[in-house]
Amino acid sequence: MSLATLTRLALAGNRTDAARVALTALSALLATLAGLAALTVLAIEKPPGDAWQQSEQYVNALLREPGLRGGTAFALVMLTIPVLALAGQSARLGAPSRDRRLAALRLAGATPGQVTRVAMLETGLASLAGTVLGLACYLGGREVLHRPDDNGQLALPTDVLPPVPAMAAVVLGLPVLAAAATAVLLRAVATTPLGVVRRAGRTGSPQPWPALLIGLGVLAAAVVEPIQWALRGAALEWLALVAMVGIFGAVMGVIFGAGWIAHLAGRTLHRLARRPAALLAARRLTDDPWASSRTFAALLAALIIAGGAAAFRASFQLRAELEQEQNRLAGFGDDAFHDSFYLNTMDLVDLAVAAAVAIAAAGLLVTLVEGIVSRRRTYAALVATGVPRATIGTSIAWQVLAPVVPAVLIALGVGYAIGRLLTGDLSPGARRPDVPLEQLAVQGAGAIVAVLVVVGLGVLFLRSTTAVEELRAT
Amino acid sequence: MTQLQARGLVKSYGPTPALRGITLDIDEGEIVAVTGPSGCGKSTLLHCLAGILRPDAGEVSWRGHRLDTWSEAARSRLRRTDFGVLFQFGQLVPELTAAENVALPLLLAGTGRRAARTAALTWLERLSVAECADVRPGEMSGGQQQRCATARALVTEPRVLFADEPTGALDTLAGEQVLTQLVRLAREHRTSVVLVTHEPRIAAYADREVVLRDGVIDHTGLGLDAPLAGGSR
Ligand SMILES: Nc1ncnc2c1ncn2[C@@H]1O[C@H](COP(=O)(O)OP(=O)(O)OP(=O)(O)O)[C@@H](O)[C@H]1O
Ligand SMILES: [Mg+2]
Repeated sequence: MSLATLTRLALAGNRTDAARVALTALSALLATLAGLAALTVLAIEKPPGDAWQQSEQYVNALLREPGLRGGTAFALVMLTIPVLALAGQSARLGAPSRDRRLAALRLAGATPGQVTRVAMLETGLASLAGTVLGLACYLGGREVLHRPDDNGQLALPTDVLPPVPAMAAVVLGLPVLAAAATAVLLRAVATTPLGVVRRAGRTGSPQPWPALLIGLGVLAAAVVEPIQWALRGAALEWLALVAMVGIFGAVMGVIFGAGWIAHLAGRTLHRLARRPAALLAARRLTDDPWASSRTFAALLAALIIAGGAAAFRASFQLRAELEQEQNRLAGFGDDAFHDSFYLNTMDLVDLAVAAAVAIAAAGLLVTLVEGIVSRRRTYAALVATGVPRATIGTSIAWQVLAPVVPAVLIALGVGYAIGRLLTGDLSPGARRPDVPLEQLAVQGAGAIVAVLVVVGLGVLFLRSTTAVEELRAT
Repeated sequence: MTQLQARGLVKSYGPTPALRGITLDIDEGEIVAVTGPSGCGKSTLLHCLAGILRPDAGEVSWRGHRLDTWSEAARSRLRRTDFGVLFQFGQLVPELTAAENVALPLLLAGTGRRAARTAALTWLERLSVAECADVRPGEMSGGQQQRCATARALVTEPRVLFADEPTGALDTLAGEQVLTQLVRLAREHRTSVVLVTHEPRIAAYADREVVLRDGVIDHTGLGLDAPLAGGSR
């Protein structure tokens, strides 16, 4: 097939295909911005002088202190995780109809390789459009935001540019990665001329083993402090590694645990259901509990970090209070130097968490709408036989909320527990920070409200997808 | 006694006219076959009669009440109580078992779960698919699925059953078996049936055949001689 034919086939599609392409481009754009921001922070030159010399041209300590820049860049790269989850969820949008289109290609004589190439090209081109647009936004934003204040200091590192090869790697590498990921994902489905066959067999019902992962993660966090104490605070890199692996395990445990929770919620709901809405939701939950894991992965990961951040903030707050008290006792008064740097950093972390929750909610919306659209024939038939749309809407709400509420609580709890264990006690027998119940409640409620908003938006699609016309579709 | 009455039904989709003035009465317990070439407006007529679509002009009356002026909610309620609706395929909820699918309309009406299941099992039995009660649609044959769908359409003991090519996706033998059962049950319960089909042979099950052509009634005939009448035109 010539490149022109390939391109034409890749771009031929309906509205859902257009939506998928747009979302793929948007995710690529966001990922590019995050990646370029990280590169920019890393491109700041270390000022001459001793190790404590700061880059005086910036307002923010995260940029001023060379030692903090690595962490800042890492946090920015971490922000791409929910973005990538969004990209993955977009890739599934309209997948059934695209798969059918690909099967039609196979029937028309295309080889499996050619079919895969068509899909790769679609993703690759869409991502390239996104990354190029992202680069343009980045370069434009640099110009617009380059506003030194009265002291000549900058809010953002708009005075440095990452090396061109690094920027090119982001702009060109992301689309290649995305295309490669598409090829891998397509390997899971076999596009035979007769249609699409999922290769993977049905997985059994989830077991509570993710609890073990969570337990190990919390345990890892618990041992870090005592070991550090025992070794008299000797800087141990491997200890940090243990903590990281533990946290990663706990995050995976919570995400996989969501599948188990969904299964359990579905079975409980099935037993208790009196109304059809609850029954429908219960059956869908037990039918594919892993759908919850996939759908809420980014949200739950963000909430674990939120819970951990709450623990760190409580600890920093207590430390600041204690210092102030000591200063007062020593007669320095309240106006002594007040180091709120850590608390400011926590504000940034909270902001990043909020951004991650918002992106996760967008991904959730994509998945939800995709689920509704792909089931439109069943829904239209139900409405035609007199099932009220409200019943279908309620069943969708049940299906989302029944697993997400407990999963959110667990994610916050696990995150807080790990954070609390890692911050440890300031000194043996010292005052302990109170559990920041208020902040945790706000985070949990915020996440659930975001989910509710998403459900409300998704249900709006019900009206158009349950129109009689859908009965004509096969 | 006339239960359902259509007067001068007109319906178009944009510039495409689908119905161009249809007048039709359906009596209690009567089985009416609607036939005609593809695209002549059979499904559109059925959707208008069942209150799924609103006609552009004309009226549909159910026991003397103007159905086409009712709200969507009221028509929806009518469809799950006095009307039963049956399509060609794809109307069963894939995650629910056959018994749960059949019980669904009863649950919507507020029947308790146990009573709904008992009734569902009875109807599955009547359609000779009792063995599928705890099986999901995906694991049944096409014929079994349509029997379950028929059981679901009849479980509320509707006064009118609307069926749009209910056996269109089945082979001749399976289709015939489903249809004979449907007709027998409808006769037992004095349920009126509006049966859309494009196979004249199937129309032989009906009391009356209404043949559409280009959105108008071409002619009507008695079910049994309809194939001949249809063929002579
Ligand atoms: N949603 C729609 N949008 C546009 N045109 C439509 C729509 N639904 C039906 N039509 C048109 O209206 C006419 C009647 O359609 P209808 O589905 O009622 O025919 P039918 O007799 O049921 O055909 P078939 O036997 O193929 O099912 C056709 O010309 C069709 O193309
Ligand atoms: Mg039709």
